[in-house]
Amino acid sequence: MILSNIAGLWESAWPAGVTMLSLGTLFAIVLLIASIKLKVVVDEKITQVHESLPNVDCGACGFAGCGAYAKAVVSDPELLGACAPGGAETSEAIAKILNLQISGSGSPVRPIVRCRAHTADRTSYAEYAGIETCTAANAQAIVQACKFGCMGFGDCLAACRFDAITITDGLSTIDYEKCTGCGACAKTCPRNLIVMVPFSQENMLTVGCSSRENGKTTRSMCKTGCIGCGLCSKQTDIFVTENNLAKLDYEKYLPNEATETATEKCPTGVIVYRGKSAPAPRAAGQKPAVKK
Amino acid sequence: MDTFQILLMGFLSIVIINNLVFTKFLGICPYLGVSGRIDMAFGMGCAVTFVVTLSGMLTWMIDHWILRTLGLEVMQYVCFILVIAGAVQLVEMYLRKFFPSLYESFGIFLPLITTNCAILGLCLFINLWGIDNLLEAVVLSAGAGLGFTLAICIMAGIRENLKMADVPESLKGAPITLITAGLLTLAFMGFAGMIR
Repeated sequence: MILSNIAGLWESAWPAGVTMLSLGTLFAIVLLIASIKLKVVVDEKITQVHESLPNVDCGACGFAGCGAYAKAVVSDPELLGACAPGGAETSEAIAKILNLQISGSGSPVRPIVRCRAHTADRTSYAEYAGIETCTAANAQAIVQACKFGCMGFGDCLAACRFDAITITDGLSTIDYEKCTGCGACAKTCPRNLIVMVPFSQENMLTVGCSSRENGKTTRSMCKTGCIGCGLCSKQTDIFVTENNLAKLDYEKYLPNEATETATEKCPTGVIVYRGKSAPAPRAAGQKPAVKK
Repeated sequence: MDTFQILLMGFLSIVIINNLVFTKFLGICPYLGVSGRIDMAFGMGCAVTFVVTLSGMLTWMIDHWILRTLGLEVMQYVCFILVIAGAVQLVEMYLRKFFPSLYESFGIFLPLITTNCAILGLCLFINLWGIDNLLEAVVLSAGAGLGFTLAICIMAGIRENLKMADVPESLKGAPITLITAGLLTLAFMGFAGMIR
C-alpha cells in the first residue's frame, strides 16, 4: 500500500524534478558563460593583503573596512602601517607581500585617559539626573565641578569595539591587554580626555589630569588634580608645565631616576603609570611618601 | 491600433496607477535603503528594471510554455525564484565589470534584489491578471521596473532636499523617511481607479 503510494508520488513528481533540473542546468550554463565573459581580474596581492589583515573592520586606518584598506595599500604603499589593531606584525606581512622594505616599525599607539579621579575624589555641586551619556552631560554645567575630568558615563565604552574599556568608580579605565589602538575612544570623548600615545614601553607615565584651572580651583574640585606646581618640570625636562597643567613630552620620553623622583614628589600623586602591568597608583590626594 | 492601446494603458497603469511601490507596498527594502542619493537610486532603479523585465519575460515563457503544458503550476514559485536569482547574478557580474563604483555603493542591496518582493510580486501578478500575451507581459514588467525607478528617484530627490530641511530632532532619520513615503503614497492615490 505504502509502496504503491510512493510509486504514485514518484510517478507524479518526476516531471517536476526533471523540469527544475533542466531549467537549473540552462541557467547554470548561461551564468557560466557570463562569468567567463564578464570576469573581473582581482589583483592577487589585494586578496593576500586582505587575508593578512585582522579583519575586524574597525576603521582606524581611515577606510571603510579591511577590504577597502587592502585595496588602498596595494596601490599606495605610503599607507603601510595604518592598521592599528594589526600593528607591526601586519605591517611586516603586508610589506612581504608587496616586496617592500620597512624601516623600524614605530611603537604601537595606545590611548591614555588623562584623568585619574574616581567618583569619590571629585566634587559635585548637585546630582546630575539627565541623559546618561558624556556628550549630553558635557552640555550641563552642573554634572560635576571639574569641567575637564572624566564624567564616567561611558561614551568611550560604547565606542570601543574590543571590549577594552570599563568604567570603574566613575573613571574610564582601559584594559591594555585587549586594546588594539584603533582610536575610536579618543575620537568619541567629548572632553578630549583620551589621547593616543606611542607606547615605547609596556607601561607609560602620564599626568592623570587635564584641568587647566589654577591650583586653588583644581584643589577645590578634585582631590587628585594637577595643580600646576611645576615640581616635576624642575626634576626633568620631560615634564612641561604650562597653563597650570603638567604634560609629558612623549618624544623625549625615557623613564629614569629624575622621573621617579618627580612621580614621588608630586603633591597630588597625579603622575601615574598606565599600561599592561602598570603599578597601582598612590591613593588619591595622599601626601608624598618620600620627602627630601 | 487596438493592441497598441491596450499595451499603452497597461504600461501607464503599472507605472503610475498600480505602481508596485505606492499601491502594493512591494520592494520597500531597497526603496528606503538605497534612496539616499539620486544617482544611486537611479542605478538601483535601472538594475531592478533590467531584472524585472528579464524575469517577467522569462517567467511568462516558462509558465505558459513549460509549466502549463506539463500541468506543473505548483512549481511556479520555485521556478520564478530560480529565474530571478539567475537574472540578479547576471546583473551583479555585469555591474562589477563595468560599473565598479556603483557595485561598491550598492553593497548588500544588489544581491538583495533577489529577494525583492516587487519582482516576484510582478511575476505572480502577471499570472494572476491572466496576461496571455508575451508582448503584454514584457511591457508590464518593463513598466513595473520603470515605476519602481520613478518611485525610488522621487524618494531620493525628496530625501536629498530633506537634508537641508530643519527636521525636528525626534523625527530625524528613519521616521521622516517613512512619513515621506506615506505622503508620497497618498499623493499617488489620487490616480487610483483611473485604469483597471
